[in-house]
Amino acid sequence: MDTATQRKWDAASRNFDFFSYGDDLRLGPHKQRLFAKMRGETLMLAAGTGNDFRFFPPGHSIIAIDISPKMLERAAKKAAAYHGRIDLRQMDACQLEFPDNTFDTILTVCTFCSVPKPVAALRELYRVLKPSGQILMFEHVRSRIGPVGMFLDLMTPLSRRLGPDLNRDTVGNVQKAGFRIRREENIYLDIIKAIEGVKNPSTSR
Amino acid sequence: MFFTIGDYLAGMLVGAVTALSVRMVVWPGMDMVIAMIVGMALGMLVHLILGLGLGPLIGMFEAMIPASLIGMYGGMFFGMRDSMAAGSRTLQAAMAVGALFGAIVVAGVHFYDRALRGAVVDTGE
Repeated sequence: MDTATQRKWDAASRNFDFFSYGDDLRLGPHKQRLFAKMRGETLMLAAGTGNDFRFFPPGHSIIAIDISPKMLERAAKKAAAYHGRIDLRQMDACQLEFPDNTFDTILTVCTFCSVPKPVAALRELYRVLKPSGQILMFEHVRSRIGPVGMFLDLMTPLSRRLGPDLNRDTVGNVQKAGFRIRREENIYLDIIKAIEGVKNPSTSR
Repeated sequence: MFFTIGDYLAGMLVGAVTALSVRMVVWPGMDMVIAMIVGMALGMLVHLILGLGLGPLIGMFEAMIPASLIGMYGGMFFGMRDSMAAGSRTLQAAMAVGALFGAIVVAGVHFYDRALRGAVVDTGE
């Protein structure tokens, strides 16, 4: 378990809901549209305080993991309010305690801005996803617009201390891990994106 | 709709506060290069503080991205103007121009967002 990351997100859990209030209101409909594609056995990575549970379609059985026990404590109430079943577990994204080919769908929301080894974690997700399984991601990435990209590079050393990196190439990382991009949609500029990836049907792990 | 209004109000606030803080620090006759650097630094500081404060209301990126452009470029422009004592003779006028600059930047970001929004890759599966 990466204890440094765990401590950082334990600390961030105190103000997490406050800082994400506007984003949840504004981006909620986009998340709802993406999550509607959820099917079968589902894993949610980095559940946080459970703010995104309300955007899940009802009636699913979902395993939601997070590295931070403090985040999961806050998520428990929101998981109980979901019309379906959400099983919360503490786990490191780079060391998933699931066998190969377990899930049909994997969800991530603003996760790969924060995971210290993004490609390693994505390879781990690839492992636990069934062949032809899908990964649905709602992520922010580095902008390709010159001054905006430079600004995100400039701000990252500061933002990293409190939480996420702002300049990750998550689409590239998804492809490096072996996924095929099925859909990529810009939600806000070219920074906030909905990314859909698929595991090759002939790959067993 | 409310978020759009919020974006414009936030941009106008960042622009006005940047203009105010630059006017407080840069004096007429100050070396223009130094005035522009000071203006940019002040603008970045203003954008950080106000962006973090406004982010929980209108969304972090929607607050921070326009605010960074307003702070960085607005700070430089206002620094240049104030070092030359060109236009905006009163503090209120300087702040009004700052607010106008903020609104124009937000409109530009909205326009660019509209142009970029939507599917970049869609295999149709």
